[in-house]
Amino acid sequence: MKNSIKLIVIICTAIVFVTANMAMAQKAGGPWTIPATYKNMKSTVKAGDASINTIGKENFNKHCKSCHGAKGLGDGPKAANLKTSTGNFSLAAFQARTDGELYYMSFIGRDEMPNFEKKILDVADRWAVIGYIRTMKK
Amino acid sequence: MKKIYKTLKFSALTLFTLIAAQSATFAQEEATADTTVQEKPIDKPVRPAFENALLFDAATTTFYPSKSLEFVLQHRFGVIDTKDNNYDMAGIWGSANIRFGLNYSILNSLMVGVGTTKFNKMTDFQLKYRVIEQTRSNSIPVTVALYEVIGIDGSPDAKWDGTPDSVTTKGYKFGNRMSYFTQLIVSRRFNDKLSLQVGGAFTHYSCVDSVYSHDRVSVSFAGRYKFSPQMSLIVSGDFPLDIKAIKDYKIVKSNTIIYDKPSLNAGLEIATSSHAFHVYVASAQGIIPQECIMWNKNDFFHGGILIGLNITRLWNF
Repeated sequence: MKNSIKLIVIICTAIVFVTANMAMAQKAGGPWTIPATYKNMKSTVKAGDASINTIGKENFNKHCKSCHGAKGLGDGPKAANLKTSTGNFSLAAFQARTDGELYYMSFIGRDEMPNFEKKILDVADRWAVIGYIRTMKK
Repeated sequence: MKKIYKTLKFSALTLFTLIAAQSATFAQEEATADTTVQEKPIDKPVRPAFENALLFDAATTTFYPSKSLEFVLQHRFGVIDTKDNNYDMAGIWGSANIRFGLNYSILNSLMVGVGTTKFNKMTDFQLKYRVIEQTRSNSIPVTVALYEVIGIDGSPDAKWDGTPDSVTTKGYKFGNRMSYFTQLIVSRRFNDKLSLQVGGAFTHYSCVDSVYSHDRVSVSFAGRYKFSPQMSLIVSGDFPLDIKAIKDYKIVKSNTIIYDKPSLNAGLEIATSSHAFHVYVASAQGIIPQECIMWNKNDFFHGGILIGLNITRLWNF
């Protein structure tokens, strides 16, 4: 009888742990609502520009890497503490987005994704970051 | 040892000349090049010369956007005991100094701050204003800022009993507690890695002991070499100048502690999106600039060093 009670307690505890973990699992962010003015923006930094691997990389490492990971795979040290998945920048679906869409998602932000306009003041520097994110395509 | 200090002091004084000279050279090259260019590109300010508005105990010419709030925690352990047998774990078990501060950017070029420090129960109010900003075209070759720190010593009133100033003012006055530090800072960002800064400052204490001066003029330098996206090697120094014209006393008593040692700092800076961390060795145990310039008796090159840490947190609104 005692063993049966123990077994029931163990099973219930296991169920609670599993359920709790499921409840805390990260969910993918919903679709972005991006204003047309941003959607149609074009990058002022062309692919291969020197600023991409200097200013772009530097700013990505300083402001983005801790959540998005060094290669944009969403595996940064802070990512696990977020409620929303940070996404994977190497995927074709992500890279298919327009420059303007990436600009809005990166610097205007929403919910857990903060606004970075006051962190990276120069617009050309922001485009260099987008240029650097473009290099993460596989 | 004096030679080293003289050399460093000379370097700090000549640094400004070098920055100015190099800027002038660049400006001339730019002007020559402009004659062949039809369309002039839009001029922009350079990126900040330093990652943070704070470098050890000094202010840099870096400003944050308006409505930014910064929390600053500055900590200096005790002087590393190299002579006695009192093992103090590299000063970590020694008497430490600590400051908590808050800075707020009212404008993109105007910052105010308030803080409190353990030593002398000092409360300080700060103001920093950017006068001009270096541009990418080099039309303005340097960034210039004004920096003011007003300190209020919170020690018991008895500290000022019998001091010459309390005698002349017929007893203790609140004004005895005041100290002022006024600095002109000039910086130049040479490239993405190297930035240098020089400054000239005037320090005034309203009340000092009989053998000390109320005023001191000093020159300062600071530098940063960024060797990775988030890490930089940082150095700075404040050199009190021996100007007889502003000395209050003529003869120094033999048993008097001479507080005229330069305040030198060297260490590493790690900067992230919202934080900056400084880990360094320093000679002065004061934290606000007037304390470092007026009252440092530690000789950096003679075992007078301590470990320091700074942590800053920035919020943008």
